Amino acid sequence: MDDLATYAENTWCLGCGNFGILGAFKKAVRILEEKGTGREKIMISAGIGCHGKIFDYLKLSGLYSIHGRSMATIQGMKIANPDLKVVAFAGDGDAFGEGIAHMIFAAKRNADITIILHDNGVYGLTTGQFTPTSEKGFKGPSTPKGSIEEPLNPLALMLEAKATFVARGYPVKLDHLVDIMVQAVEHQGFSFVDVLQPCVSFNNTYKRYNALVEILDHVPDSYQEAISIAKRQDKLPLGIIYKEEKLPYHKALYGDWNPVTKRMSKEERIKRIEALLSR
Amino acid sequence: MKEEVFTFIVGGKAGEGVRKAGSVTARLFASMGRQVFNMDDYGSLIKGGHNFSVVSTAKRKITSHYINADLVVAPDKRSYDIHKGHLSERGIMVYNYDTVGEAEGVGVPLTTEAKKYPKPDLRIGVGAVATVAAVIGSDKEALRNLIKSEYPRDIENNIAYAMTIYDIVYPKIGNKFQLQRGDKERPIVTGNEAIALGAAAGGLDIYYAYPMTPSSSILHYLAAHDKELGVTAVHPENEIAVMNMAIGSAFAGAKTMVGSSGGGFALMQEAFSLAGMVEAPLLCYLGSRPGPSTGVPTHTAQGDLNFALHQGHGEFARIVASPGSMEEAFYLTAEMLDLVWRFQTPGIILTDKHMAESRVTVDIDAKKTRWPETATHSGGEYKRYLDTENGVSPLLFPPSKELIKWDSYEHDEMGVTTEDPSMIAKMQEKRNRKKKAVADYLTNMHTVNVYGNTGPVILTYGSTTMSVLEALRCREIEAMVVQPVYLEPLPVWELEKYKENSVIVVELSCAGQFASLLAEKVGIQPKAVIKKYDGRPFDPVELASRIKEVV
Ligand SMILES: Cc1ncc(C[n+]2csc(CCOP(=O)(O)OP(=O)(O)O)c2C)c(N)n1
Ligand code: SF4
Ligand SMILES: [Mg+2]
Repeated sequence: MDDLATYAENTWCLGCGNFGILGAFKKAVRILEEKGTGREKIMISAGIGCHGKIFDYLKLSGLYSIHGRSMATIQGMKIANPDLKVVAFAGDGDAFGEGIAHMIFAAKRNADITIILHDNGVYGLTTGQFTPTSEKGFKGPSTPKGSIEEPLNPLALMLEAKATFVARGYPVKLDHLVDIMVQAVEHQGFSFVDVLQPCVSFNNTYKRYNALVEILDHVPDSYQEAISIAKRQDKLPLGIIYKEEKLPYHKALYGDWNPVTKRMSKEERIKRIEALLSR
Repeated sequence: MKEEVFTFIVGGKAGEGVRKAGSVTARLFASMGRQVFNMDDYGSLIKGGHNFSVVSTAKRKITSHYINADLVVAPDKRSYDIHKGHLSERGIMVYNYDTVGEAEGVGVPLTTEAKKYPKPDLRIGVGAVATVAAVIGSDKEALRNLIKSEYPRDIENNIAYAMTIYDIVYPKIGNKFQLQRGDKERPIVTGNEAIALGAAAGGLDIYYAYPMTPSSSILHYLAAHDKELGVTAVHPENEIAVMNMAIGSAFAGAKTMVGSSGGGFALMQEAFSLAGMVEAPLLCYLGSRPGPSTGVPTHTAQGDLNFALHQGHGEFARIVASPGSMEEAFYLTAEMLDLVWRFQTPGIILTDKHMAESRVTVDIDAKKTRWPETATHSGGEYKRYLDTENGVSPLLFPPSKELIKWDSYEHDEMGVTTEDPSMIAKMQEKRNRKKKAVADYLTNMHTVNVYGNTGPVILTYGSTTMSVLEALRCREIEAMVVQPVYLEPLPVWELEKYKENSVIVVELSCAGQFASLLAEKVGIQPKAVIKKYDGRPFDPVELASRIKEVV
């Protein structure tokens, strides 16, 4: 029995890259448990799209958010109770269309959260429109003559926004992806995992990715090197592209405080209010 | 106007310390045990323009400023010209001789004296305070102490300047208005401070907001006093993040509040509905200014009533309440925090710039508040959306061995997405039952304030209640003022009894939204609707004559 599965019926297309992401994350959770982080402490969230369905398929607590907002949702969870590990599954349309401001700011403030991007270069659930990461010329129902916009580079963008953990994975390289996920969740700060996710129905990229992916043999030790790897076009390097230790947002905000577990007593609070009023 | 009220106006350009001078004068009056109402009229700019601060004081309760002043201090020609028309019959104009020249009133060389010290422009406000002290016969020692505590930067020069101005003013008009001491010294708060402290008293853990007048000062206040109060204040990238973060925090068990004004609140609508769907307890603060759109940022209006009542898409219970005094702002915020947690649905505290930013002496007993009571899970398999009689499901917070799933899609009791027709219907009904549960609960609560017991019935709400009560006081008009504190659900059960009366409605709206609401929900057809929609609150004298006209 798969104790990380729910009774929800899986409705992804056969061969969809999302299956690999789901399988990899379950493995990652089991490894995290072995390493001491119980699943009751791992909160998940998701945007709206094919990717978001992972929320229903995972027997983990959390909040199924709205389109493009899951990264704000999990930041709120983390600020309220920093003892929790929080992970959002986002779509490429979701994260870099609706949610781009949240992505940039979460990285900028080094929020201690993990974003797993189901990067399929397409709006899957709404039947195949181009997304912020689709190649120029991409043909979809809203761009029948081909997209006339340049794509965003999620890795470079997140690096530029001061993300402290940036990685790229590919479900076909499952164990490699699992390892990245474990490290991303363990990272204390903003971690971003761009998962190359083929969409067999609207953007089948298996062949292209299989030919282009290349597992990095080391974690680059400079920001400059990370940027140049993120921008490579000839190859699609996989692995941790950048990692930096930096004070996470909630610690900078309130140190070792925890709003829900260290809450001030009512009596103390009232005393302080009375003091403020009599000033 | 009855002599019992004394009003002071100080005008000037933004950046000259006009508002500060108003608030310091308010302190001076409060320190005499008097009650105070201080309203700032300022523009959406940082330097220049024309700002003024009105401070009215009485020995009794006072719930509005008066626009006609007994003392005006005009540091420049523009202030002189504008506020000449604001002098009461006994009013005295004290003007800056250096900028106005020879004119009617009492000329004082405010600038010449200020130039003896560095940064003369910033000192003019201190001169205004010294003028008030002289005119009301306050002694120099009291003035010295006031300057010391209120202008902590460059204390010695400020004191020296204040003493000089006092000595120039005193021989001319010193002691002209002898203000008696009142019964006791009270704290002064703005409506926003009352709301921030009320939320804290009600158990607030986290406040999220993006700056927007007139809501910003709640964010500023809580950020300044975060450690002291044990409240976390966060200013994220935009209002959409504000609302979604707040819902995430509520999921983790934090008592959370957000705040904004019209435009920012519009950005929160999508997530307001998310709160309705996931059944997140969430308190929202909406401080209105004249709209639509950017409108008039630093002025006042009650034009967002319908917006507040119909916030969000889809069907779910909403609670909307609007306080009619600073004290009520404090208690009601705590009470609303309890309600949104009790019913796990979003609620809105609705005010406007007039209440949010005016400074008033208050009697607040912080102990008269309680922390939210929530239905909590007591064991067995946890179902987030357990179908209950009143629609409210028990809460459980992470970390827990139980599965806790909040879902923006329609869901089953476990919080797993569904498109099953019978489940959809069941959950729609569950959420709908909460509306009735809220209304039933409110039936046993104090939901409508009634002031007075004879005379015509005046229906009003929010900050306008303060204006109406002061209008009646100043002209000794007998009337019954009926103010619903709750607007959604509207306490029709309390309001119905006024259907047969001849009713007057007073509100700060051009369309008359409050009157329409009363007509639609209660069937009240007012004899007259007194409206104002120029961005300024009512003056009690003007309002009193409009009330007299229609009764
Ligand atoms: C505010 C809002 N706008 C639009 C939609 C409709 N919508 C649902 S999913 C989706 C696109 C999803 O694309 P992506 O995020 O890339 O996810 P994928 O389906 O590819 O996994 C859109 C536009 C929505 N749910 N909410
Ligand atoms: S449409 Fe694409 S992304 Fe969606 S389930 Fe099918 S293959 Fe996967
Ligand atoms: Mg996509």
